[in-house]
Amino acid sequence: MTVHSPDESSPAQIATRIADALAEVNDAPTLVKIGHAARGLRPLAPSQPLAPVRLACLGSFTMNPLADALFLAGVGAGMNIDPYFAPYGQFDRALIDPSSGLGVSNATVVLLAVRLPDVCPALYEEFASLDESAATRLIDDWIARLASAIHSFRARNAAPIFMLDYESPIIPALGAADRTASPSQVAVIARANDELRRIAREIPNVRVMEYDALIARHGRRTWADARLAAYARIPIAQANYWSFARFVVSHLRPMLGLSKKVLVLDADHTLWGGVIGDVGPAGIALGPDYPGNCFVAFQKRILDLQRRGVVLCLASKNEESVVLDVLRNHSSMVLREQHFAAIRVNWDPKPGNVAQMARDLNLGLDSFVFLDDSPVECQMMRQALPDVLSICLPKEPAELPGVIDSLDCFEQFSISEEDRRRGALYRAEVGRRSLEADVVDLPTFYRRLEMVMTLAVDNPMDAHRAAQMAARTNQFNMNTVRHSEDDIRRFIASERHHVITLALADRFGDNGVVGLAIVEKTPDEWTITTLLMSCRVLGRTVEHGLIKWIAARARSCGAERLTGLFVPTTKNKPFAPFYESCGFACVAGSSPERWTLPLRTADTNVPDWLRIVVNGGAKKA
Amino acid sequence: MSRENLDKFNNAVSAILGVAADEVVDSLSSESVDSWDSLNHINLIGALEQEFGVMLPTESIASFQSVAGLKSLLADHGVEL
Repeated sequence: MTVHSPDESSPAQIATRIADALAEVNDAPTLVKIGHAARGLRPLAPSQPLAPVRLACLGSFTMNPLADALFLAGVGAGMNIDPYFAPYGQFDRALIDPSSGLGVSNATVVLLAVRLPDVCPALYEEFASLDESAATRLIDDWIARLASAIHSFRARNAAPIFMLDYESPIIPALGAADRTASPSQVAVIARANDELRRIAREIPNVRVMEYDALIARHGRRTWADARLAAYARIPIAQANYWSFARFVVSHLRPMLGLSKKVLVLDADHTLWGGVIGDVGPAGIALGPDYPGNCFVAFQKRILDLQRRGVVLCLASKNEESVVLDVLRNHSSMVLREQHFAAIRVNWDPKPGNVAQMARDLNLGLDSFVFLDDSPVECQMMRQALPDVLSICLPKEPAELPGVIDSLDCFEQFSISEEDRRRGALYRAEVGRRSLEADVVDLPTFYRRLEMVMTLAVDNPMDAHRAAQMAARTNQFNMNTVRHSEDDIRRFIASERHHVITLALADRFGDNGVVGLAIVEKTPDEWTITTLLMSCRVLGRTVEHGLIKWIAARARSCGAERLTGLFVPTTKNKPFAPFYESCGFACVAGSSPERWTLPLRTADTNVPDWLRIVVNGGAKKA
Repeated sequence: MSRENLDKFNNAVSAILGVAADEVVDSLSSESVDSWDSLNHINLIGALEQEFGVMLPTESIASFQSVAGLKSLLADHGVEL
């Protein structure tokens, strides 16, 4: 890519240039392309709404040469990674020593990249000479040392820690006999990994990244370059820097709410082989034999994504009736009409169609991924909507399922019941919007929806979903604080706080838990410290209903005022007018903005179209 | 000297060290370029291996820290610059 001066272009043009540069690197991630792109993009990054990440890399090996790849992969995922590399091999000192420097103490994320071959070399280099108890002792000693270093860090710093899990040897030391031997090298390493996951369960905000699986995907023999490992203690071949960087970044996405949510698919040459308009439903490649079986396999992988919570859309330049006929009637189709939250089949340019989908689904364009076989369509999308991640599909049908397997942008830390049902939720949303289009006035529309809001107060069962919403909700979110599940549990247990979750059902279906409020109480004042709502349910007065309910509850507990905070981000503009619309007044000069509602005079009547059911609240008065 | 190879070489040095491609001259060395430290040198050798499809000896990671040195190293491995 060419380096341009940043001052002549608009942020949108810069965004397109960034998307182009990243597509080029993804195509062939050589050191030269990574180097040029990183140099070109560093001065442009400040003009973009990227989430800042101060990443402290504490490794048992040299990680500094990965700096450009980490930065670049971060930009591709919506973050501006500023890596700090602790001195080589000083990972546990950096965790334990409070004076280990700002790079560690100021970090927003810690990458603890410790390889077992570096800390327990005997397990890899002289395993055959170890007996069972010696092997066990090596693992136990190391795990104890690691756990105590992490505990010591956690006692003074809440930054999330991501650890690499431990790699298997290329070939077990005992060869084919390993699995039946005692000790078995593979089994000993598996036990070390179990211990690692135990640490992650027991210490808050510690997660394990499946590094061994990454190595296996790329091939154990070629993951490292023996020369580089021996000379410079870099156990990752240069050809794999980009994969490693993307791997790290894919784990940061869900933490920062930067995982993608929507997959937009083309139809011809994507869901099936051939052009349906030319060859008709009988002529397309879709069925049990090559190449049709590749498209079937591709569709199955996509359906699996949908079942873990990815919203599917279809954008195709075709006659709508022709495409719908395939979706409804072709016997080999895996994806059917009901799997798509939005279908736009017409002859208009695709960027306009995708923008309309984003409006219909009430989701940001930066949560969209676009898959198309046409490089021209992909280029057009990057030009018009650079926030959409556009991926051009390979021409070889057999390679298609692998494309889905390599998408690392939908990562979530866990899959909830809401995720599994999301496709249906969004389809229902489209139904609601068509109802809205029929109705003359909004109150009539609201009444016809037959909404029931279920509020749960301080229910530990909701902690998981609450943390997930805190991680993912960007638009209607007053301060975008990403509470962990442990944080939520602490608020639930606290006498000074209430955690209120909101579930919404209507005649089109159950939306599940879609809202979260956390309030902090003093005798005079209740302060809303977290307030967020899934965009799927905005515009139906539910958010106002929630505030009125909280206000009524605060008043009945004797409070004089209800206060709300607002911290603007690049994404939460939809929240900005909210307090005012609820009758709050802004406290002049407050930063972050504080808005208050005097409870004596506040109107707390919930509109007649919202039925509120309250569960729980018995924990404390 | 192949123009194409020379462009590729200059482009690689530029990508890794951050000097403009048209300022890559034989006299550049780790003495004269601040960004040419030992870690960047490792990436530079790797970049040249990737660009020219050759495998350079591990000792080259420790030596040849000048443009002239890298060019003669590549020539020894069949890359005409």
